[in-house]
Amino acid sequence: MNKYLAICKINLLNSLVYPTELVTRSAMILLFMWIFFQLWHITFVAAGSDLINGLSLHDTMWYLLLAETLELGRPRSARTISEQVKDGSIAYLLNKPYNFLLFQLSNGLGDSLPRMGILFLLGGALVWAMAGPPPDLVNWPFALIALVGAWLLHFFVNSLIGLSAFVVEEVAPFEWLYQKLVFILGGMLIPLDFYPVWLQTIAKSLPFAYMMYGPARLFVQSSLSLFPQILFGQLLWLVVLGGLLILVFSRGMKRLAINGG
Amino acid sequence: MLRELKFLLSLFKTNLAAAMEYRVAFISQSIGMILNDAVYFIVWIIFFDRFPSIRGWQLPDMFIVFGIAASAFGLAGLLFGNAFNLGEIIVNGRLDYYLSFPRPTLLHVLASRVVPSSFGDFLYGFISYSASGQFSLDGLGRFFVGVCLAMTVFLAFLVLVQSLAFWMGTGGVFSSMAINAIITFAIYPITLFNQSAKVILFLVIPAAFMGAVPAGFVKAFSWSTLGLMLIGAAGFMLFAILVFQIGLKRYESGSAIQIEV
Repeated sequence: MNKYLAICKINLLNSLVYPTELVTRSAMILLFMWIFFQLWHITFVAAGSDLINGLSLHDTMWYLLLAETLELGRPRSARTISEQVKDGSIAYLLNKPYNFLLFQLSNGLGDSLPRMGILFLLGGALVWAMAGPPPDLVNWPFALIALVGAWLLHFFVNSLIGLSAFVVEEVAPFEWLYQKLVFILGGMLIPLDFYPVWLQTIAKSLPFAYMMYGPARLFVQSSLSLFPQILFGQLLWLVVLGGLLILVFSRGMKRLAINGG
Repeated sequence: MLRELKFLLSLFKTNLAAAMEYRVAFISQSIGMILNDAVYFIVWIIFFDRFPSIRGWQLPDMFIVFGIAASAFGLAGLLFGNAFNLGEIIVNGRLDYYLSFPRPTLLHVLASRVVPSSFGDFLYGFISYSASGQFSLDGLGRFFVGVCLAMTVFLAFLVLVQSLAFWMGTGGVFSSMAINAIITFAIYPITLFNQSAKVILFLVIPAAFMGAVPAGFVKAFSWSTLGLMLIGAAGFMLFAILVFQIGLKRYESGSAIQIEV
């Protein structure tokens, strides 16, 4: 365990070497949150109501902030792993005294933590100014637990996409499609509560809702019935996707052909 | 002028041939991008199904705006693929190769690469316009004119932002921010924004010239709209070329050996 914590720490410190670049990259969230506010402010005015399906403009904005933080801060293991497979550098990682997947997880965590922190702080400051103070502190622990589960789900799916490089030449189309499915079925751009009921049912039976909607919803309106639902859904999909990842990795290792040079 | 056009044509043919060398990857990326764009657009279908009009802006308008932005983005990637990483080329000293040729440096740099997935974006734009419910043959002609002028503004903006690398010594950060900024603003309804924001969208981040203005031209011909688009495209492009040339005087050659294949 110590070695994985060390890997995470090294990557975290690496991310902080150029703080100006980290902050500049994270400033994109200001643009997104500002546009979201323009859109939803006008939408709520047009709807003629302070609440739409139980969410106020304040709730919607803080929901979107957490969703956007998760989207911009999620692990990019798909790109990393596929490049390592395609250029053969995976060979140098496989003969090291650590588990390849846990190595990627530690790396990804070290990269995501400072990014998500800065994103939340910058975006949060703007949303506070536009829509009001953050949600009740009592929601935060539930959202944080769900955030961890969501991050892991993203890692598992991204790693599966990266490992598809064993089979396909180019993984980018899978990455794009996955991202868009998270946008739609994860409620990243529009809270799932605003969807037609039939689409909400479909979305909540798939893992994407637990990658995005779950933690964001708990952040704005936590409840003793919602939290166990989200947690159970995340645990179920963690087992399914985690098992699939281990299976695909072990099959991929059997297919691996490394050419010398 | 004719010589430069012949030169451009030769470059395009060579780049396309190089991209088609990996035919499966080219086709899969193009199809993947069409799917990516289509799935992304579903968000707007869900939104306008729930909220039919945003200050007069409706779903058919989104089809056209999205189509213009997608095709303009795609055309830029197909014809001038290095526009997306001009900053890195400057920072890494890779302009040396282009400076040694008796050809306009900026034109040569920009036109030396094809982004394979851009073909999918380019095609999708036409699909989106066809699905808008406002398709007509003369509208298609105006759509193509709008796409060409929107592409010109987009290219000019990318060149402008990335030319900052001559002064700031950093390339990638501003490139991705610039692309995100202009695309994000271009595909959101312009009716969301107040007058001061619209000034920014016309003069600073010219997203209006990449989305709303050409979309209006597609819906109905107007000499004033055409004039505005031509002035916007010419003005931004001339300014971008000027800034690049001024920056080029500060350029210092790197000592790396560069091979272009």
